[in-house]
This record gives sequence, C-alpha cells and structure tokens, in this order.
Amino acid sequence: MNPTRDKLVARAKTDLAERLKLTPNDVRELGVSDAEFPDMALGAPESGEMSAQMISSGWRIKFGAGGKNYEYRADKYQLRLHNFNGENHVIES
Amino acid sequence: MNRNNIWIHVAIAVVLITLAGVLGQISRWKTSLNGPRVELSRQSVDHLEIETWDLQGEAPEVLVRFKSGVTLNEIRRLTAEKNDNLSDEIESVAGLTVIDDLDNADAQIVANQYSSMTDTVEYAEINYQIKLDDPVQKSVFQVRLGRREPSAGMPNDPMFADQWALNNSGANGGKERADLDALEAWTHTKGSDEVVVAVLDSGVDFTHVDLIENMWVRPANVPAYSDDELGTFNDINGYNGTDAIRDPMDDNGHGTHCAGIIGAEGDNAIGVTGINQKVRIMPLKFLGRGGYGSTNDAIEAINYAIDRKKNGVNVRIISASWGSTSRSKALEDTIRAAADADILFVAAAGNDGSDNDRRAHYPSNYDLPNVISVAALDRGDQLASFSNYGLKTVHVAAPGKDILSTWLNNGYREASGTSMATPYVSGVAALIIASDPNITMKNLRARILGASDDLEGLKGKVQTEGRICAANSLGNIVKEHSHE
Repeated sequence: MNPTRDKLVARAKTDLAERLKLTPNDVRELGVSDAEFPDMALGAPESGEMSAQMISSGWRIKFGAGGKNYEYRADKYQLRLHNFNGENHVIES
Repeated sequence: MNRNNIWIHVAIAVVLITLAGVLGQISRWKTSLNGPRVELSRQSVDHLEIETWDLQGEAPEVLVRFKSGVTLNEIRRLTAEKNDNLSDEIESVAGLTVIDDLDNADAQIVANQYSSMTDTVEYAEINYQIKLDDPVQKSVFQVRLGRREPSAGMPNDPMFADQWALNNSGANGGKERADLDALEAWTHTKGSDEVVVAVLDSGVDFTHVDLIENMWVRPANVPAYSDDELGTFNDINGYNGTDAIRDPMDDNGHGTHCAGIIGAEGDNAIGVTGINQKVRIMPLKFLGRGGYGSTNDAIEAINYAIDRKKNGVNVRIISASWGSTSRSKALEDTIRAAADADILFVAAAGNDGSDNDRRAHYPSNYDLPNVISVAALDRGDQLASFSNYGLKTVHVAAPGKDILSTWLNNGYREASGTSMATPYVSGVAALIIASDPNITMKNLRARILGASDDLEGLKGKVQTEGRICAANSLGNIVKEHSHE
C-alpha cells in the first residue's frame, strides 16, 4: 500500500474524530478506493475556490461514526472532507 | 608548512565555502519570502501576516469596487480610517481595488463593512484563494524524435496519429471524422506568429522542446510591465501573478498541456502538434506550484493582458481552463474590460456532468459579449459523461477526452476535461485571426459559433448544438449536418 495513502487515511481519521469529538477508536474505516474526480479540487471545492477543470485521479476514503457515514477525498498532495454538514473542507494540501 | 597543516587548511576552506553557500541559500529564501511584490503591496504588513497568506493559503484581502467619482485620495482616506491598506488598483476596471485588512479580521466581515458603504462602494467581495494540486500523471511519454513520411498534408509530428481531435481515423473506438477537420483547415492556414494567445493557468513550460519556438517573448519595443502598487514585473516570458520577480514557468503541468493543444510546434518531427502549428503563446500564471492562487491574481493577469494589448501586443484571446460555482463581480468586470479591449475569453464549462442553466459555473456563465463557454466531447462525438452542458449558458463543444498534449520535463500525456476542450476553441480562434487579422472579437466569436458542425447528441445540450470545426471556421467547406 502506498505509504502516502496510509498517512492520509490516518490523518483523515484523526480529523473526523476531532470534529465529532470522538476518539479515533470510535471512527470505523469503511473502505478506501481509487477514484476519479471532476477537477483538481477533487470535486470538493471550498466556498470560492476555483480549480483546473481536468479529471484527476485520487482516493475516496469512507468512515462510519455515530451511525453516520463520512467521505474524505485525497490524492498525492491534498486531503479534503466532502460535504460535512453541507460544506467541503481542505484538511491538508 | 607541513602536510598535516595543509589538510587542516583545506578542511577549514571547505567548511567556510559550505557555510557561505548555506547562508546564501538562506538569503535567497528570505528574499523570496520578502520579494519586491510582497514588499510593495504590503508595505505596512508585518512578516507574520505575509507568511500566513503565502504558506497557509489565507485570504487577507478583499476586492472592492468604488463608485464612479470616488477619487484615489478618498479611497486611501476611507481605507486608512479602517486601518486597511490600498494594496492595488485594477487599472482596466474603473474603481476596482484590492484592499488588505491590517487587523486580521475575517475577510467576509471586511467585505460586508465595505458593502455597507453604499454611498461610495458599488460592491465588495472576498478575494478567494483558488486551489488545485499536481495531478496524478496517467501516462507521460518522453520526447520521441524521428521522422515519419508525411502523407496527405499530415504533419510529421510522431504522435500525430494519437491526436484524434485533429484527425480522427476511427481508431480506438473513435468515430471517423469526429474531429476539428484540422487537415482541411491547414490547407488554408497553419497559424501565424503574429497572433498571441494568452493561457491563463498554472504557467507554461516555455522551455519545452515542442513549445519553445511558439512562445511569446516580450518584444524589445514593449516596456516591461509596471504597476503603481506592485512594481515592475519580470515579464520577458509572460506574467507571473504569484511572484512578480519570477518568470511564468509552469510547476503543475496543466497550463503546459493547454498550451500544447493551442500551439505545440507543428511539423517539426517532435511529439505533437497544436491546432496552430505556428502561433505565439503568452503564459499568464496565476496558480502556484501547489495549486494556490486567487481571484485577485486571475484579475491581475487579465489586467496584464489588456495592458499589453494597449501597448501594441496582438493578444486577441484569453484561454481559461478553470472555474468554480463561485461568482465574483470583480472578475466579471475585468473580463468585461477584456471585451472592451476586443479580447475573446474562452472558458471551460466544468466537469460535474451538470446543467449550467440550473447550477451556474464561472467564469463560463458570465453573460458577456466575449465569453465562449465550452463543453467536452469524446472521440465518438458524444458529449463526455463528465461534461457540463446548458442550452442557454454553454455555447459549443470541442474534443476534451483522452487528449494528448505537452507536459512538464519535455513530456507528453493524455488528459480529460473541459480544460482540454477550451484550448481547442482558443486555438481555432487563433487560426481564424491568422487568416483574417482584422476580424473583430464580436465577429470572431460569431464565426466560431456559426461554423460548428451540428451533432444530434448536442441537441438541447449546448446553444449551437454543435462541435467547433476549424475548416468551417476558415470557410473551407460547407457546414456539415451529421444528423441529416
């Protein structure tokens, strides 16, 4: 497994736990899959962001916590939280 | 001096030289963090705020357009009263300014404060950061040298057979002649080095072996670009809105790909050819290496292109392969100023597979006389599954899937997106200008849209219901109606 990908998954898990005020052990990894996104903001732009309109490859990282599912999107250079309470967030870039 | 002493002296010399090198590098880093642009635009901002913006991507600026009649002195007084700093004026749009808040207040709050000044302010908005990342490369080819026997007007570029957008043979599941009719168009013109196309993007690798001959270089009789607030730019090879002292070298790849579509040198026995075999590409870099940029930097870059036009550079087209669903009045006003300068603005429709009539995408959705919004087609002449569309707001389609073009480090790769369709339209526009140098922007836009090939699959999807056609645009052949 790509160590960068592992690192991003761990970072996403920590981020979600902090947002939900849970411990990382309370966050369950549901799966990581290769994905193609519509643009270089991985289809998860923050408000006001613009990005190159080129299809980009990356990973979709899914978690379950507190009875809900959450999705992070990542590639080699960035990690984003998709549609968390209606908003996207850049976690790392 | 004995032999041992010699070695001690040599060791000391090596240490001193190394130390000098390290100190020099530190000095260069310091210079890059406090370069002329930052110093000039943020004279009274302390270095911590500069680092916050540069390194963490914060947006401490707002874009404010003051009403007609509000003088520069009044603007300075108004901003000073708020402990703000007039960072820059956008010369091409009257009253449009960039303002730094020196109190580190939330940008939206600052924008709201200015918006409430209805006596003097037309509008105020956040200077949003624009972000992209280095994309994963699917396929990078090294430069292939070698000559293939040219036939039937085909250029001798070794990868030409893979450029289905220019000449679709029907291979790889494609549809024969589902292309721009480049071969027919080239019987009329292959482009002109008198036509300048600005690529507003992540920069361009202007040293790429397949681009270098078609890159714009500021002529000796055109003065270096100078801005009252930002200082003088190093614009020999184009404009770098992210760093005034650096050239617009691409450190992402996306801009280089778009540039190759418009104008990789043709018939040079290297790599690919652009739809223009000969042209002048002007890089306007507003996205940084990590993909960071801002609305303001895009505006400044457009302002630069307008200024160059006024200084005699024949920049006629701005190609914009980026966007979002966020609307900026300041960006809209600047693109309008480009229209006033007779510059065509070609914009990507977006890749969400959605209807832009219902969910707007910018800048492609700005209802301006110089904007062409572009959807993407696959090699079977079908609207690409990812492409946005819109009967009212998307004007035309162009090839945008599995497009081979130039990449960083003398490389090549395939990429997909309305990002790739956009430069084909920009490129066809450049071909038209090459054959009709005095055509107006309005007539140029009408020529491109009026010469499209109708496609059944685009009915109800894009305004012209067609794919651009280089040959039709040059008047070589009658308009095809493939659905008839």
